[in-house]
Amino acid sequence: MATSAPAPGTRIVDREEIRSKLLSLVASYLEQPVTDIQSDVKLVEYGLDSIFALTLCGDVEDEYGIEVKSTLAWDHPTVDAITDHLYDTLTAEA
Amino acid sequence: MRHSAYRVAEEFDHLLGDPRDAGRLFSHARSLVLDEREEFPLEICRELDLLGLPAHYVPVAHGGAMRAFEDTLQIMRGIARRDLTVAIAHGKTFLGAASVWVAGDPRQSRDLGAEVLRGTPVSWGLTEREHGSDLLAGEVCAERTADGYRVTGEKWLINNATRGDLVCVLARTAPEGGSRGFSVLMIDKRGLGPGSFRTLPAARLHGIRGADISGVAFTGAEVGRSALIGAEGDGLEIVLKSLQLTRILCAALSLGALDQALDMATGYALARHNHGTPLVGLPQSRRLLARSYADLLTAEALTVFAARALHTLPGELSTVSAVTKFLVPTLAEQALGRLSRLVGTRSLLLGDTFEHGRFQKVLRDHRIVGIFDGSSVINLNSLVNQFPLLARAHRRGEVDEAGLHAAAGLADRLPELDPGRLELLPRRGSSVLHAVPAAVAELRSLAAAGEVPASLARRAVELAEVVDEVIEQIGRHKPVPVAAPARSFGLAENYARCFAAAAALQLWLRNRSAVDSAATHGLWESGLWLECTLTTLLRRLRPTRTEHLVAGGGEDPEAVVDQLVEPLLAQHAAGQLPSLLPYSRLGALV
Repeated sequence: MATSAPAPGTRIVDREEIRSKLLSLVASYLEQPVTDIQSDVKLVEYGLDSIFALTLCGDVEDEYGIEVKSTLAWDHPTVDAITDHLYDTLTAEA
Repeated sequence: MRHSAYRVAEEFDHLLGDPRDAGRLFSHARSLVLDEREEFPLEICRELDLLGLPAHYVPVAHGGAMRAFEDTLQIMRGIARRDLTVAIAHGKTFLGAASVWVAGDPRQSRDLGAEVLRGTPVSWGLTEREHGSDLLAGEVCAERTADGYRVTGEKWLINNATRGDLVCVLARTAPEGGSRGFSVLMIDKRGLGPGSFRTLPAARLHGIRGADISGVAFTGAEVGRSALIGAEGDGLEIVLKSLQLTRILCAALSLGALDQALDMATGYALARHNHGTPLVGLPQSRRLLARSYADLLTAEALTVFAARALHTLPGELSTVSAVTKFLVPTLAEQALGRLSRLVGTRSLLLGDTFEHGRFQKVLRDHRIVGIFDGSSVINLNSLVNQFPLLARAHRRGEVDEAGLHAAAGLADRLPELDPGRLELLPRRGSSVLHAVPAAVAELRSLAAAGEVPASLARRAVELAEVVDEVIEQIGRHKPVPVAAPARSFGLAENYARCFAAAAALQLWLRNRSAVDSAATHGLWESGLWLECTLTTLLRRLRPTRTEHLVAGGGEDPEAVVDQLVEPLLAQHAAGQLPSLLPYSRLGALV
């Protein structure tokens, strides 16, 4: 998206970029190729337990510079769900 | 300065009288008899109710007397100094109630407050027979009904499951489970339909033999909607936050156990002669006493800091509570082992030959403390999961100056306890560790001014180096879900030791001028206890074999620790228990 240059201070938010960033993050936790991770499958089904899922919030905060609830991955249990949530948060901010 | 939490605890303990007097209700003699009979300390618990202990489990906001968490903790330590079984049996009500203090609505909190004040025992049902600490594997389920829930399943190895009229239960409210599939229900057994629950026989135990460690099985037990604490699906979050409170309270049990054992061992070392010399005059016995005392002081400093941090640094508590619940029972267990070697055969005797058999009882009773409410492994694993956040936050190095200052400064006023501000993750890391460089600089200038020995400043500098190393290793640690590698656990242990050292540093710096040096017999002046704490923690953080150095006539790196024997004996002679801050012998007031 975003064919024209963004105005200063605004942020380009790209849903697919968020999705692929999250997929590679999860793949790196699981030490699996990113192609093995599907965005509509619950993270717990890949063996990401609930307590570990909390750590995802730290990585997300670092990446996007926003504060998210530590229970992000509990309330949004798939990569798709987290993507939508982050997209909404980031576009609301932009 | 008399620290108010210690004064409050001492006043409560005074009401119970001298435990050596067999005519008192809460006497050593009674505790030992009940233990031998594996009998629940019912009369003693009733006495504690009459004396108002339950009010200390209820925050002031909900009608109780708990203003400062550390007051409750030090009172509980006082009970544990007498008998761990009683402390665990009675104190369970706080654990059972904690979820309501964390997430209950005003009415639930007020109602529970009133129940607790009346002396109603509250139990906390988390674990199940097939799923110990794996809470999300729990099979107890609560199905929604028209006006509440129908609960079915069994909770097992639950403290006070039989005696507790109220049982706070973690139950599955979504059949598929998961992080949002569990809820907390406060179940009033008195209101359940006949036949819809039964209690399970108490397990026979190695230690705390009189405690009611039993279970409860529900079969279609109907509870009203008002039993639900927080929102449906919030169960795991509520339990994890409640554990931040209860894990710190558990430190009181370890401290009380070690207080007792060190006091008994000191008395023994003074009275017992070998080849005409009292044990306390023999270098190896002195070392055993001194090392044990150093461990107690380290554990005590960490606990004091943690209990205050609950008020002042609530966002950092996921780390503080895991560090405390791992390290304090571990230090106590280590020291108890050392003191057993000093006391020898008598540490195993039942009957009247040595302290009415109290020593063997405290050894047995303490074993459970490192296991329940999240074992050491669980707490270390929780730290391992926090590594990425802790490492990043450490690089940013933010310090919550006001929160840190008030956590360490005993004269500072504590803000009201607000469990709603607890966080599941330490977003800002650990202020106390981020503040190590500044604290070390402060100590170095004190050394330059001749106020503390240069050796103390050297230890502090070494600590700063070790903290950097540990953080660097943590930063390189690759997060692994579920099966964290064994070496990560060693790293988490080291993180905990660094944390304890940093907390001790702050505690000494912030209070050194205010503490009455005569009443503490030289522990605080020139930083003696701090140097001993740093020395013993650093010996674990940077293990080196030093026997050959000593054998070759070199300096013994632990020699400074032996200096603790003097204050230990002075406290003993002054009718005090061994402690960082003055605390009189059981049943007496300073």
